[in-house]
Amino acid sequence: MAAANKNSPKKHTDNENESSLRGTIVSVGFVGAVIVIMWAAIFGLYMSRI
Amino acid sequence: MHRLEEMWIAISTGILIIFMVVVGYQTFALGMGPPSNKETIDPQKVDQTEPFDEPGISKIGDNEYEVVMTLQAFGFTPNNIEVPAGAKVNFIMTSKDVTHGFQIAGTNINAMVMPGHIQKISHTFDKPGEYLVLCNEYCGTGHQLMSTTITVK
Repeated sequence: MAAANKNSPKKHTDNENESSLRGTIVSVGFVGAVIVIMWAAIFGLYMSRI
Repeated sequence: MHRLEEMWIAISTGILIIFMVVVGYQTFALGMGPPSNKETIDPQKVDQTEPFDEPGISKIGDNEYEVVMTLQAFGFTPNNIEVPAGAKVNFIMTSKDVTHGFQIAGTNINAMVMPGHIQKISHTFDKPGEYLVLCNEYCGTGHQLMSTTITVK
Protein backbone atom coordinates (compact mmCIF):
# COMPACT_ATOMS: atom_id res chain seq x y z
CA MET A 1 0.00 0.00 0.00
CA ALA A 2 2.70 2.37 1.04
CA ALA A 3 4.70 1.48 -2.03
CA ALA A 4 1.76 2.14 -4.31
CA ASN A 5 1.15 5.53 -2.76
CA LYS A 6 4.76 6.32 -3.21
CA ASN A 7 4.57 5.50 -6.89
CA SER A 8 1.32 7.22 -7.77
CA PRO A 9 2.50 10.84 -7.84
CA LYS A 10 5.14 9.78 -10.32
CA LYS A 11 2.54 8.31 -12.71
CA HIS A 12 0.84 11.66 -13.04
CA THR A 13 3.93 13.17 -14.45
CA ASP A 14 4.19 10.31 -16.95
CA ASN A 15 3.27 11.97 -20.22
CA GLU A 16 2.99 8.75 -22.24
CA ASN A 17 -0.41 7.86 -20.66
CA GLU A 18 -1.72 11.34 -21.29
CA SER A 19 -0.88 11.08 -24.95
CA SER A 20 -2.81 13.10 -27.47
CA LEU A 21 -6.37 11.89 -28.20
CA ARG A 22 -6.78 14.18 -31.18
CA GLY A 23 -7.05 11.31 -33.65
CA THR A 24 -9.55 9.55 -31.41
CA ILE A 25 -11.85 12.53 -31.05
CA VAL A 26 -11.74 13.13 -34.80
CA SER A 27 -12.78 9.50 -35.37
CA VAL A 28 -15.48 9.65 -32.69
CA GLY A 29 -16.71 12.93 -34.12
CA PHE A 30 -16.91 11.41 -37.58
CA VAL A 31 -18.98 8.45 -36.37
CA GLY A 32 -21.19 10.82 -34.37
CA ALA A 33 -21.71 13.08 -37.38
CA VAL A 34 -22.76 10.09 -39.52
CA ILE A 35 -25.30 9.05 -36.84
CA VAL A 36 -26.70 12.59 -36.49
CA ILE A 37 -26.93 13.11 -40.26
CA MET A 38 -28.74 9.79 -40.79
CA TRP A 39 -31.12 10.47 -37.89
CA ALA A 40 -31.89 13.96 -39.19
CA ALA A 41 -32.42 12.65 -42.75
CA ILE A 42 -34.91 10.01 -41.59
CA PHE A 43 -36.63 12.55 -39.33
CA GLY A 44 -36.95 14.93 -42.30
CA LEU A 45 -38.30 12.15 -44.53
CA TYR A 46 -40.92 11.24 -41.93
CA MET A 47 -42.01 14.83 -41.35
CA SER A 48 -42.25 15.53 -45.10
CA ARG A 49 -44.74 12.64 -45.44
CA ILE A 50 -47.06 13.65 -42.59
CA MET B 1 -10.16 11.46 -17.29
CA HIS B 2 -8.84 13.10 -20.40
CA ARG B 3 -10.50 16.41 -21.28
CA LEU B 4 -11.42 15.14 -24.74
CA GLU B 5 -12.97 11.98 -23.25
CA GLU B 6 -15.20 14.13 -21.06
CA MET B 7 -16.14 16.13 -24.11
CA TRP B 8 -17.29 13.25 -26.27
CA ILE B 9 -19.11 11.55 -23.40
CA ALA B 10 -21.02 14.79 -22.76
CA ILE B 11 -21.79 15.38 -26.45
CA SER B 12 -22.92 11.83 -27.18
CA THR B 13 -25.08 11.72 -24.04
CA GLY B 14 -26.62 15.04 -25.03
CA ILE B 15 -27.36 13.80 -28.56
CA LEU B 16 -29.05 10.65 -27.20
CA ILE B 17 -31.18 12.73 -24.83
CA ILE B 18 -32.22 15.09 -27.66
CA PHE B 19 -33.17 12.09 -29.89
CA MET B 20 -35.25 10.52 -27.11
CA VAL B 21 -37.00 13.78 -26.21
CA VAL B 22 -37.90 14.49 -29.86
CA VAL B 23 -39.14 10.94 -30.56
CA GLY B 24 -40.92 10.76 -27.19
CA TYR B 25 -42.70 14.06 -27.83
CA GLN B 26 -43.78 12.89 -31.30
CA THR B 27 -45.07 9.58 -29.97
CA PHE B 28 -46.83 10.59 -26.75
CA ALA B 29 -47.83 14.21 -27.41
CA LEU B 30 -48.43 14.21 -31.17
CA GLY B 31 -49.65 10.61 -31.53
CA MET B 32 -47.09 9.74 -34.18
CA GLY B 33 -46.19 6.35 -32.76
CA PRO B 34 -46.38 3.22 -34.87
CA PRO B 35 -49.89 1.78 -35.29
CA SER B 36 -50.58 -0.35 -32.23
CA ASN B 37 -54.30 -0.81 -31.74
CA LYS B 38 -55.09 -3.50 -29.17
CA GLU B 39 -58.47 -4.95 -30.21
CA THR B 40 -58.80 -8.62 -31.04
CA ILE B 41 -61.21 -10.60 -33.22
CA ASP B 42 -61.89 -14.26 -34.00
CA PRO B 43 -60.02 -14.61 -37.31
CA GLN B 44 -62.33 -17.40 -38.49
CA LYS B 45 -65.45 -15.28 -38.05
CA VAL B 46 -64.28 -12.04 -39.67
CA ASP B 47 -67.13 -12.10 -42.22
CA GLN B 48 -69.74 -12.36 -39.45
CA THR B 49 -68.16 -9.82 -37.10
CA GLU B 50 -68.97 -6.11 -37.17
CA PRO B 51 -67.74 -3.96 -38.80
CA PHE B 52 -65.95 -6.41 -41.09
CA ASP B 53 -69.21 -8.00 -42.27
CA GLU B 54 -69.53 -4.93 -44.49
CA PRO B 55 -66.08 -3.81 -45.60
CA GLY B 56 -66.07 -0.54 -47.48
CA ILE B 57 -65.64 3.20 -47.25
CA SER B 58 -68.03 5.54 -45.47
CA LYS B 59 -68.06 9.26 -44.80
CA ILE B 60 -68.03 9.96 -41.08
CA GLY B 61 -67.42 13.69 -40.98
CA ASP B 62 -66.43 16.83 -42.79
CA ASN B 63 -63.96 15.42 -45.31
CA GLU B 64 -63.29 12.50 -42.99
CA TYR B 65 -63.70 8.91 -44.09
CA GLU B 66 -63.62 5.51 -42.49
CA VAL B 67 -62.35 2.52 -44.43
CA VAL B 68 -63.22 -0.89 -43.01
CA MET B 69 -60.89 -3.29 -44.75
CA THR B 70 -60.13 -6.98 -44.70
CA LEU B 71 -56.88 -8.33 -46.02
CA GLN B 72 -56.64 -11.83 -47.40
CA ALA B 73 -54.40 -13.74 -49.75
CA PHE B 74 -53.80 -11.91 -52.06
CA GLY B 75 -55.88 -8.76 -51.99
CA PHE B 76 -57.45 -5.90 -50.12
CA THR B 77 -61.24 -5.51 -49.68
CA PRO B 78 -62.34 -2.88 -50.68
CA ASN B 79 -59.81 -2.24 -53.41
CA ASN B 80 -61.24 0.80 -55.19
CA ILE B 81 -60.90 3.55 -52.64
CA GLU B 82 -61.43 7.09 -53.84
CA VAL B 83 -61.32 10.16 -51.62
CA PRO B 84 -61.14 13.91 -52.25
CA ALA B 85 -57.89 15.78 -51.63
CA GLY B 86 -57.43 16.86 -48.04
CA ALA B 87 -59.51 13.96 -46.71
CA LYS B 88 -58.60 12.33 -43.45
CA VAL B 89 -58.98 8.58 -43.76
CA ASN B 90 -59.20 6.23 -40.79
CA PHE B 91 -58.33 2.68 -41.76
CA ILE B 92 -59.70 -0.20 -39.66
CA MET B 93 -58.21 -3.47 -40.81
CA THR B 94 -57.93 -7.12 -40.00
CA SER B 95 -56.63 -10.22 -41.74
CA LYS B 96 -58.66 -13.29 -42.65
CA ASP B 97 -55.73 -15.64 -42.96
CA VAL B 98 -52.06 -14.87 -42.44
CA THR B 99 -50.11 -11.77 -41.45
CA HIS B 100 -50.25 -9.09 -44.12
CA GLY B 101 -48.70 -5.65 -44.44
CA PHE B 102 -50.43 -2.42 -45.35
CA GLN B 103 -48.09 0.18 -46.76
CA ILE B 104 -49.02 3.22 -48.80
CA ALA B 105 -46.02 4.30 -50.83
CA GLY B 106 -45.01 7.93 -50.34
CA THR B 107 -46.77 8.24 -46.98
CA ASN B 108 -45.96 7.23 -43.42
CA ILE B 109 -48.63 4.53 -43.46
CA ASN B 110 -47.04 1.20 -42.74
CA ALA B 111 -49.00 -1.24 -40.61
CA MET B 112 -48.78 -4.92 -39.83
CA VAL B 113 -52.19 -6.57 -40.10
CA MET B 114 -52.35 -9.83 -38.18
CA PRO B 115 -55.10 -12.44 -38.00
CA GLY B 116 -56.96 -12.11 -34.71
CA HIS B 117 -56.06 -8.44 -34.34
CA ILE B 118 -57.74 -5.23 -35.44
CA GLN B 119 -55.33 -2.59 -36.70
CA LYS B 120 -56.08 1.11 -36.97
CA ILE B 121 -54.18 3.90 -38.69
CA SER B 122 -55.09 7.35 -39.99
CA HIS B 123 -53.71 9.57 -42.70
CA THR B 124 -54.66 12.88 -44.29
CA PHE B 125 -54.24 12.80 -48.06
CA ASP B 126 -53.34 16.38 -48.98
CA LYS B 127 -51.84 15.72 -52.42
CA PRO B 128 -54.05 14.43 -55.24
CA GLY B 129 -52.82 11.40 -57.11
CA GLU B 130 -52.76 7.64 -57.26
CA TYR B 131 -51.25 6.06 -54.18
CA LEU B 132 -49.82 2.58 -54.44
CA VAL B 133 -50.84 0.23 -51.62
CA LEU B 134 -48.64 -2.77 -51.01
CA CYS B 135 -48.53 -5.81 -48.79
CA ASN B 136 -45.07 -5.78 -47.29
CA GLU B 137 -45.22 -8.93 -45.19
CA TYR B 138 -44.52 -12.09 -47.14
CA CYS B 139 -47.93 -13.83 -47.15
CA GLY B 140 -47.64 -16.67 -49.66
CA THR B 141 -47.01 -17.53 -53.30
CA GLY B 142 -49.04 -14.58 -54.63
CA HIS B 143 -47.55 -12.01 -52.27
CA GLN B 144 -45.99 -9.98 -55.09
CA LEU B 145 -49.44 -9.57 -56.68
CA MET B 146 -51.02 -8.17 -53.54
CA SER B 147 -51.43 -4.48 -54.25
CA THR B 148 -54.10 -1.89 -54.92
CA THR B 149 -54.38 1.87 -55.32
CA ILE B 150 -56.03 4.72 -53.48
CA THR B 151 -57.14 7.57 -55.71
CA VAL B 152 -57.08 11.06 -54.26
CA LYS B 153 -58.86 13.63 -56.44
